[in-house]
Amino acid sequence: MVKKKIGNKKNRKSNFARLSIFQPNKYSFKRKCPLSGKSAPIVDYKNIKLLKKYVSENGKILPSRITNVSQKKQRELSLSIKRARNLALI
Amino acid sequence: MNLYEHTIIAKQDVSASDIKKLTEKYSKIVEKNDGNIVKTENWGLLKLSYTIKKNKKGNYIHFKIKGASKIIGQLEKDEKIDEKLLRYMTVKVKKFDLQTNYFSKQEDGVEIDNKKTAKKL
Repeated sequence: MVKKKIGNKKNRKSNFARLSIFQPNKYSFKRKCPLSGKSAPIVDYKNIKLLKKYVSENGKILPSRITNVSQKKQRELSLSIKRARNLALI
Repeated sequence: MNLYEHTIIAKQDVSASDIKKLTEKYSKIVEKNDGNIVKTENWGLLKLSYTIKKNKKGNYIHFKIKGASKIIGQLEKDEKIDEKLLRYMTVKVKKFDLQTNYFSKQEDGVEIDNKKTAKKL
């Protein structure tokens, strides 16, 4: 408590000014790729429930800048979506 | 030896006994060419997302095949001529996923559970 009162004027003004390099960056807005990581679902042409999330209403594949999917997984996704289209699943 | 996933779509008005005949017919072809069928799945009558040759629904049959590449050539040669079929597709895979069934009704509940846990994490 005492420290906060002592802190210079910049700290009082905004929340972000108090951030230092050593704090965990809670305030970064970058989301992680939802398909990579340990508990990620498997990308497969049979997994229609997953594929439908990454397809627009008109059936187009959504770009990775919107869905935040990594490059590697986006390639897998687009391949498996095209396979599912061929089988008339999507 | 390679691993293949092979799916065929039969027309909507094909009877259940004919589907059995189809599966037997194509599994015989595989066995003749020294192949091995690891698993066959019958996904049942599914709704097609677009009409194919005036069919709105289709019977899906899925094979998991282990064998040489000439088997696929033989299979597709016969399937091209077959009038009961609408489509066929083969995919070469590195590993078979024998645990998850995406098209059976029992597994639907499990899939939802998996999603819930994924969200928590």
